Amino acid sequence: MSYHWDFSGVWSRWDLLLAGLINTIKIAGISIVFGVIVGLILAFLKLSPRRFLSAPATVFIEFYRNTPPIIHFFWFYYALPVLANVSLDPFVAAVLALSTQSGAFYAEVFRGGIISIEKGQWEGARALGMRHSQMMRRIILPQAMARMFAPFVERSFELTKTTALASTLAYADLLYQAMLVNSATFRPLEVYTTIALMYVILLVTASTLARIAEARLTAYR
Amino acid sequence: MDYQIDFDLIFRSLPVLLRGLLVTIELWVPTVLIGLTAGFLLSLARLSKSATLRLPSLFYIELFRDTPVLIQLIWFFYAFPIIIGVQLSPFVAALLGLTLNTSAYSAEIFRGGMQSIAQGQWEGARALGMRRSKILQRIILPQVFKRMLPAFTNRIIEIAKMSSLASVLSVHELMYQGRLLSSTYYRPFEILTTVAFIYFVLIYPGTWLSARLERRMAEKA
Repeated sequence: MSYHWDFSGVWSRWDLLLAGLINTIKIAGISIVFGVIVGLILAFLKLSPRRFLSAPATVFIEFYRNTPPIIHFFWFYYALPVLANVSLDPFVAAVLALSTQSGAFYAEVFRGGIISIEKGQWEGARALGMRHSQMMRRIILPQAMARMFAPFVERSFELTKTTALASTLAYADLLYQAMLVNSATFRPLEVYTTIALMYVILLVTASTLARIAEARLTAYR
Repeated sequence: MDYQIDFDLIFRSLPVLLRGLLVTIELWVPTVLIGLTAGFLLSLARLSKSATLRLPSLFYIELFRDTPVLIQLIWFFYAFPIIIGVQLSPFVAALLGLTLNTSAYSAEIFRGGMQSIAQGQWEGARALGMRRSKILQRIILPQVFKRMLPAFTNRIIEIAKMSSLASVLSVHELMYQGRLLSSTYYRPFEILTTVAFIYFVLIYPGTWLSARLERRMAEKA
């Protein structure tokens, strides 16, 4: 191989990449929070015995799960402003896209966790004279949360990787910053390899933290 | 909302969008076929007793699972040609990125499936005098395919969604045509919504099938 790797251009612009990494973490964190809120609302709507509540939630969830993420980004950035006569900046459009799409997936995680709790647990709690809210708080949710944890983390990692699509709306995330550095240095091999490794480090760190948290959460077993 | 929807434009753009859909399918089918085959071989390496096979395959799988697909596609288009000294067309780069990504994810499905088969089956087959390749072919793989069918269907759906990222490399697939048309006519709402519906029609049958298979297997168990 005659190619000479030269990382000096990347090193001298490390501050740009660091700013990108921080923006990636920021947008992922905010979208996870909003995604959880959307997911909880959708999960409870879908669990409702009333069809006029559960049917719209099902349509919303299925629509998001069966269309590519990139179309949501473009739809919120280009189509929604025309329709609603507002203008959105790339960050807001990207957060809207990320939190609605991850909300659809989180909803299934939450719903799956709640319905996986055996009937006997509900009946037992009711036999003890607990009200619905008590039953949820003391019996069902603690067990459901432990079961939801792994798929929840997996979904959040998917979301974190999907934030790279925000670069197509010119949001200054890690990938976008890498494109800037690349156009200044003409070193795509070094630049894109560096940011790929930065993503690996970010996700491996996050998954280590998640494993520690999971061990605590399931300690009661 | 006083927005006037231009339905006529939707009908006029359908031929172009359907031409894009054809390219989407041209990316999708080979990625599924080559990616799953490569994933199977990769899972054998991953499960191998020899560390010289196991460690590189583990490294490869984690690298692809811990970086965004978009960056993998960009890397194969802009960075990889520098190493091999040959410029790749956007289509080939996208196909390469999608296939290798698929091989990593499906290797984990094959591995999960094979590890779920009881050890006794290997021992029993060996006692009958079968060679390792025969055991895999006749005893293990048929069961893995059956057991992991929902996971494979899910992966195939993910590939259809991922293929939309090829638009970033200007492969003329469905998403690319949608972006082009929506900026040409400045009618993003009509065009992008239509594109989303076409994707939904393409992908939803797979999701439906996967959910049905999963339910049927749960009933059998």
